[in-house]
Order: sequence, then C-alpha cells, then structure tokens
Amino acid sequence: MAETKSPHALSIAEAGARLRAGTLTSTGLTGAALDRIGAFDGALDAFITLTPERAMADAAAADADFKAGIDKGPFQGIPYGLKDIYDTAGIRTTCHSRLRVDNVPPADSVVAARLKDGGGVLLGKLGTHEFAIGGPSFDLPFPPARNPWNRDHIPGGSSSGSGAAVAAGFCRMAMGSDTGGSIRGPGAYCGIVGLKPTYGLVSRRGVFPLSYTLDHCGPLARSVEDCALTMQVIAGHDPLDPASAKVDVPDFSRGLGWGVHGLKIAVPRHFYVKAEGVSAESVAAIDSAAETLARLGATVEEITLPDYDLFNACGRIILSSEAYAIHEQDFQTRPLDYARMTHARIIMGAFISAADLTQAFRLRRELATALNAGVLSRFDAVITASSLAPAPPFADYRDGWPTAWPMQTMAFNVTGNPAMSVPTGFSKAGLPLSMQIVGRPFDEPTVLRIGAALERALGLLDTWPALEGSAAAQAAAS
Amino acid sequence: MPASPSDDDLKQELDAAAKKAGLTIPAERFEVILASYKEQKRMVALLRQPRTAAAEPSNIYSLVAQRQGS
Repeated sequence: MAETKSPHALSIAEAGARLRAGTLTSTGLTGAALDRIGAFDGALDAFITLTPERAMADAAAADADFKAGIDKGPFQGIPYGLKDIYDTAGIRTTCHSRLRVDNVPPADSVVAARLKDGGGVLLGKLGTHEFAIGGPSFDLPFPPARNPWNRDHIPGGSSSGSGAAVAAGFCRMAMGSDTGGSIRGPGAYCGIVGLKPTYGLVSRRGVFPLSYTLDHCGPLARSVEDCALTMQVIAGHDPLDPASAKVDVPDFSRGLGWGVHGLKIAVPRHFYVKAEGVSAESVAAIDSAAETLARLGATVEEITLPDYDLFNACGRIILSSEAYAIHEQDFQTRPLDYARMTHARIIMGAFISAADLTQAFRLRRELATALNAGVLSRFDAVITASSLAPAPPFADYRDGWPTAWPMQTMAFNVTGNPAMSVPTGFSKAGLPLSMQIVGRPFDEPTVLRIGAALERALGLLDTWPALEGSAAAQAAAS
Repeated sequence: MPASPSDDDLKQELDAAAKKAGLTIPAERFEVILASYKEQKRMVALLRQPRTAAAEPSNIYSLVAQRQGS
C-alpha cells in the first residue's frame, strides 16, 4: 500500500528510495511540499520566510545529481526547514525579532551548510519564540506559529515553527535549537520526535546564541528514523565551535531495528508524578510506554535522582545569566524593541550575582555526576516526562510567561546528555502526549533505538492532524 | 533562616537592582517582572547546597569521561 502514500507522508528513507529508483523526483516532492504550505500555512504561520525559488533550484540540482549518479547521502533531494536563528547566506535571518528584521547573513551556519552540501532542499525559515526565549507573542513583526492539532493551542517553543511545520507535513524534518527544551517541547506538543543531541555533537556556529553552555542544535522530525538520518548529515566536529566535541560520529540508524530486549531503563517517576501542573493523562501515557518497553524485553526500574527543581533552578540561573550577557547592550539602548514576554524573561539575568552563577555551575557538575555516575553507569537510558501536560491554549499566555512552566526538559541541558521527546498518544481533547528518552553522553544510537522500538509498538506514525479544519477556521476568522 | 522579604521590600530591591544594571523597567511591565524576580530568588536559594570548598564548577567536567560513567 506504500505506493498510495501522499508525498508528505513519505519518510526520508522512503522518499530517498523512490528518488534513487527514479519513481519520484525532488522537484515533484518539493512542489508538493510548497503546495501543501500554500494551502495550510496561512492558518498555522509556521514559516516566516518561504524560499520557493531556492527550494526549486535545490531540487533541480538534486535531480540532476541523481541522473548523473552522484549520491550525497540521505538528504539529497529532501525538503527541510530551518528555525529562523540559523544563518543562511543571502536569506534573512530574523530571530523572529524587530531587532534583526532586516538581517541578511553573508554565510551559512554550519548546519545549513552541511544540509546544503548533503543535497537537501531548503523550503524556508521557520518561526521561533523571539531570540529562542520569548514566548507566543503577538507584539512582534511576525505572528506566532500555531499547533496543527488545534490552532488555538501553542505548538511549544522556542522552535515553534519547526514543530508546527513537521507536524503539518510541510517537511519531514526542521532544525530547531534547545537551551531548556526548545526542541523537545515543540516535539511533545506537536506529536513529533525532537532530539537534543549531546552537547558538542552538532556545531552551533552561525546559530544565534541564547546561552553558550546550554545551547544545542538538533532535529524535529516526523519519525525516529528521520531524526537518525538527519543526525548522520549534521553531526561532527567543528574546530571553530569552541564547544564542539572531538568524537567519532556513529551510525545513528544502526540500532533502529534491534528492539529493546536486554536494555536496562531507569524511570525517575518522582520527577513528574506530583509536579505542579502535571496531567493524569500524561502520567498514564508514560506509565503505559514503560510497560510497553518492559513487554518488549527491557528491564524497567524506578530510580531516584536529585529533585527536578534543582536541575531547573541550576539551568534557569545559567540560562538567564548568559542570555542577559548576550543582550545587555540592546537592553540598555532599545529595550522596548523586544516583545513584552521576551523582555520580561531576558531581564532576569541582570539580577543574578557572580556568586549565584558560580553556585549554579558547581551544582551543575554535581547533577551531571548524579545522572551519569549515579544512574547511567548502571542503566542504558532513562525515561521521564518531557511535557507535564498537553499543549496549553494561547489564552494562558495573555499576561506573560507562566511562572510554573509545565516542561521537564531543562535537566538534560544542564547535564548535556542526549534527550529525545517521542509521542506516546493523545489526550481526550485530541492533543499529543509525550515522553523523553535520555542516554549516556554521545550514545544517541541507544536513545534512537529505544525510540524506534516504542514508535513501532505504539503505531502512531500514520495519524495526522486534520489541517482542512485549520484552514476553515482561519478562513472563518478572516 | 532569614525572614522572607515583604512585597514592598522586594519592589525596592528590584528597583535598585535595575538601576544598578542601568535599566529602566516600564511601569506596565513591573508587576510581571516582579513575579519572575520573586521566583528567581527562590531558585537562587536552591543553588546553595552543603558542599566543601573543593567542589569545583562544571567547566572542568568532561562529557567524554562521563560517557564512561566516571
């Protein structure tokens, strides 16, 4: 039945096989993606800048390469999007902000260059929370992206447009960035896969920074396999990124079909079962996923880690300090050019002392050791919540950023471990539920392996949001 | 344990901290920022765990070493 699939439903591997067999062209695949964006993005606002000419030129070049027998790897001829904090040569990169609305970089970010060199097809630049920290704001030059499962709800952030675009089937993969959960949050809220790789595995050069020691670049994708194939293109040492790790790049897809038999998986259930704002549906879905992994042959055991509140406090103080340092000059000279929500969040870094920050860095080491030496020396992975509840409505953000943020992703920015959000089902209201799989540093293959096994068992990949409803709602609103 | 500061004390503290940083907080944004300031003070207190002077910060930890669980 695979032959009847719409182009947007083809995985990267399936599309790649057809491109190589000559039964599909990249120009055809790209044209279908642009048509779908044209039909539905008016209701979702995932894209800030669409680049159809560039996309069709990339696609034509990929087709020509296929004809000439040139194979640049898994992304050749595959359409993708970039969060609008990734520099793109000659294409504006706004950070979704009034402050950089006319910024046109002279060079590509490393990730953009690697995807281009790999034969990928750039569809355009995707919305974000302003400077990857603001919120779903309406006082910016561009509207906030909306959740394809229900456009009255946020798609998560800060990689909001990336999450919306992949969930809507505009592309199979869009790059995001993750400083406290900005890949895994939209992954969780949009019912897709979001992978924050190990700190240092993917170059951050040319991506507008939020917090130097917490920033990670990674993919949001429709499936675990799509994530693995993306990692094969973007991972690798960059001598000009000061945080880039000099490690071998593994075959990220090697364990996707191995199942989880024999793996030992830890669950710090205390992290989330009594957390403020947790939903019973989210907990039940994680419990059910844990049972599924056990049924598939993994040993699943409840463990204890330091309180999540400690991880969160540690990460928030570091993030606020580093973000404020980056924005200090603009804050002193043009603070009102930031959205209200962005302003209220970044300003907090001005009120942190040097001693506070040093205490946070000391705690960071203790927490990283507790996770790695304390737990991951005995277990292959940890599973826990990514979001504590399904995506909230925009109305919850009317008065600003909520003090209690219902996400438990920051812990693994603090420790630097690879962490991936995967779908676990849907709430009664039809919104996606999720959980997080965390691995040892640079052991993405095990994280992906567990994610792939769960994905197969849950069978959610063929469930798509009803975009026709979104378009109708948008038409009614206008 | 020191007593929690009153809201008035916190407002004065935030005002002073903003001035020291060379920032002006617009009046209509003050209450939202004050709420975050209160939450940040709670988080800052959590960072102070019992530890010795030998407990060095994270800029010396190696993820490559931690991969081995060390």
